[in-house]
Amino acid sequence: MIQNLPWLFLLLPLVVAAIDWLCFSKCPRTAAGLSTLSAIATFALCVAYLNGWQTGTPDIYTWLPTATEGMTSLSMGLVTDALAMRMMLVVTGIGALVHIFSLGYMKGDSSNLSRYFAGLSIFMFSMSTIVLADNLAMTFIGWEMVGFSSYLLIGHWFHKDSAADAAKKAFITNRVGDFGFLIGILLTLAVFGTITFAEMGGKAAGIAPALLTATVICLFCGAVGKSAQFPLHVWLPDAMEGPTPVSALIHAATMVAAGVYMLVRLQVSMGTEAFTETACITIASVGAITAVLAALMAMQQDDIKRVLAYSTLSQLGYMVMAVGLLAGEAAMFHLYTHAWFKALLFLGAGAIIVCCHHEQDIWKMGGLAKRMPLTVLCFLMGTFALIAIPGFSGFFSKEAILHAALETSPVFFWIGAGVAALTTFYMTRLCLVAFCGQARDHGAAEAKEAGPTMLLPLLALGVMAIISGYGFIADFLVPYAGFEAHGFELGLPFYVSMGSLALGIIAALLVYGCGKRTTDPLAGNCLSTALRKRLYIDTIYDKGLIGGIQEYGAQIIEFADAALIRGVIVQGFAWLTAKFGMLLSWIQNGSLRGYALVAGIGIVIFVFILAFTIPTL
Amino acid sequence: MESAISSILFYVFAAAAVLCAFGVVAFRNPVSSAMNMALCFGFTAAVYFGMGAQFLGIVQLIVYAGAILVLFLFIIMMLDIKAEEHARKSFPLACIAVIIAGIFAGFVTKVAISLPGATVGECPAIVLCESLGDLAPGSIAQKAATEGLAPYGSAMPELSPAAAAKALGADEATAAAATAFPDTKLLGQSLFTKYNIPFVILSFALLAGTVGAVALGRKLRKD
Amino acid sequence: MTPLAHYLIFSGILFSIGLAGVIIRKNIIVVFMCLEMMLSAANISLVAFSRAQGVNGIPVYDAQVLALFIVAIAAAEVAIGLALIVAMFRARKSVESSSLNTLKD
Repeated sequence: MIQNLPWLFLLLPLVVAAIDWLCFSKCPRTAAGLSTLSAIATFALCVAYLNGWQTGTPDIYTWLPTATEGMTSLSMGLVTDALAMRMMLVVTGIGALVHIFSLGYMKGDSSNLSRYFAGLSIFMFSMSTIVLADNLAMTFIGWEMVGFSSYLLIGHWFHKDSAADAAKKAFITNRVGDFGFLIGILLTLAVFGTITFAEMGGKAAGIAPALLTATVICLFCGAVGKSAQFPLHVWLPDAMEGPTPVSALIHAATMVAAGVYMLVRLQVSMGTEAFTETACITIASVGAITAVLAALMAMQQDDIKRVLAYSTLSQLGYMVMAVGLLAGEAAMFHLYTHAWFKALLFLGAGAIIVCCHHEQDIWKMGGLAKRMPLTVLCFLMGTFALIAIPGFSGFFSKEAILHAALETSPVFFWIGAGVAALTTFYMTRLCLVAFCGQARDHGAAEAKEAGPTMLLPLLALGVMAIISGYGFIADFLVPYAGFEAHGFELGLPFYVSMGSLALGIIAALLVYGCGKRTTDPLAGNCLSTALRKRLYIDTIYDKGLIGGIQEYGAQIIEFADAALIRGVIVQGFAWLTAKFGMLLSWIQNGSLRGYALVAGIGIVIFVFILAFTIPTL
Repeated sequence: MESAISSILFYVFAAAAVLCAFGVVAFRNPVSSAMNMALCFGFTAAVYFGMGAQFLGIVQLIVYAGAILVLFLFIIMMLDIKAEEHARKSFPLACIAVIIAGIFAGFVTKVAISLPGATVGECPAIVLCESLGDLAPGSIAQKAATEGLAPYGSAMPELSPAAAAKALGADEATAAAATAFPDTKLLGQSLFTKYNIPFVILSFALLAGTVGAVALGRKLRKD
Repeated sequence: MTPLAHYLIFSGILFSIGLAGVIIRKNIIVVFMCLEMMLSAANISLVAFSRAQGVNGIPVYDAQVLALFIVAIAAAEVAIGLALIVAMFRARKSVESSSLNTLKD
């Protein structure tokens, strides 16, 4: 019985969510408290497991048994190795902090908070399912559930049209990726014979490379959707319509990282020989493209949450690129540090937004460094980690990725370095405009320091943002079995990343000064307009793909219906029957000669059949 | 020598009969058609004579050309039927009819040629039976095979009529009475012994025909 | 000796011409005449077969008896047919085949 304790990771949030929604939907405070307690409880459980508490392997629950031997039955099981448990630490840790932060952030909100906290609990359950799953089917269930909870939470303020649309967009875009994922799961079952991670090892050697590539790329489609890679990245910026703690938990730290986690789990289970050349290049290129595009688009965003969203996209691109370079270790390291500092940045942004009376435009903020010093300090810690200043956690993980890129393929190394420069530029821009100079609007002018429920998580995350990169912490906490942090090495990656750091900071300082300007000096030219409009990719999808399908697809279907089905099949058959009937009616036309003719033809046919076709002696 | 002349005569009469048949179809005046038909029947009778079926040849002339044709002419004259108008629009129909006729003639030709032995003059029945390995017992074919009689088309000398009558199973008296043209007598033998009953029934058919013609030809009295 | 096939072909040709005539001609009497020609053609082939089955020039008379019957029946048929045609002429005042069209809509 005690070995089934890991099932509590899943069941506790699920039960709490059910109770919240069914029993306490009129008592938001009780719901909030229950939810937060469950998050803290799962975090404590996770810490206990990581400290070496052994309870044995959990039971496997056979969901759909198969009658014949040799076929995998569909079962639900948990895997509790280092990769899973340390990832659970990230999930439950950030989850607990976000729950606590939400208590402060959502206070005074007019919407139904029980729904919000129930949604958060469902999310915790779904994410735990993905992390702890021992086969691809269970992963897929968690995958879909995570998309569903994301839909619930993004659309929490569903009275706003933009929020409802954003929730739909997120879900549908994810669905497109999930289609490829499902095909990938079926291919895995066909090619490897099993979908359980533990049984996949060592089978990749005897399989045709084309099949392996197809399988891996289909599975990668799921990651493209969930981790918002190009071309399915369009949902993430719109997902900022949800409450900021949701953005922090789901769209920064955990859900979007699920794609990377799944890919690394596959690399560990199938072995890196399953990831063929073509597949790796595809994955790495998609990651690189996402990183570059997102960084470019972030440079001209005015909404603080949008900047952070694009930076998340960009960092996810880094992680996927690392997976493509077969550096799963570096990818997970970056995922882990990114989770901490991105959650910090989002929660900090949330605190800023609340304290500026729900103002999100950075050009309407300013001078916040003087008015809310502690919050701004935490935010800056996160920024320093993101732009990879030496000594902060982000520096170590980004170095690891750049090392791996340099060893495998220098092209990606230089792309990574370029994106690092862009990252530095836009984050410095954000900080200069939002925190320095004078307040540009009344909201910023009246800002006060954030409350304790919001500050404490910020401080905790700030500490993690600083220390989580160092070897003595990272070796225990990075979700990768046998992870060992590289020491501090001087070499080409170090010089290049220092160079891009300096380049970015100097460029930002030159353009934006010390935040004294009131409008963006770079805005107005066509490139920056294009970047603001997200390089028109959204417009292309909306008008081109969706509008095209709806309009032209509808026209085609209407044509098919009117012309083909009604015209050819229905009316055509009627016409044909009528004509045939008329034709046959000529045979009986009352004319003697006609009858004689038909009789003559009949004689000829009859004689032909009798004399020539029936074999006779 | 004789057989060569009789072959040539057959071809001549056959060609003439075919030409007259064309005339029946082609002439617009029904009287012309009737005349052509008379000639056709006449040449057919000539062919019968050439085949050795003298009785049937005479019957052809008497009944067909002499009775049926005269009846036709009588009706044509009585109803005073004029020549047919030459209608242009029946040309496609004429083409189709010609094609049908041609196809039918082709079928007959093919069947005729494919009968085993037909192109060289042997009896197809005997040839077939021989190839099948049995001849119907009591049949003339068997007799011919066993007694060494010459089947049709062979070059053996002809039997005298008496011997031929005996070969066909006639008794002595009839065989003695067989003359140079035994055809009628032999036909009569077959007709009145083996086919007696159908012969009687045929007379009933003729009676029915007579009664029917009278009944149909009556003028209905208007009361 | 003319081969059997030639007699049969001759008979077939006559029959076909009669068939064509039945279809082509509009005058019912002429159609009837062509019909008689078809019967006569059948007779020819019967007699040819009867001769071919024969031995030494003596035919087998079964087929010739049948030909005789056919001639008799043809005579009876002509009588009745012409009586019908006369009746038709009295009704329609014409012997065109297109005048028999009351079944046409």
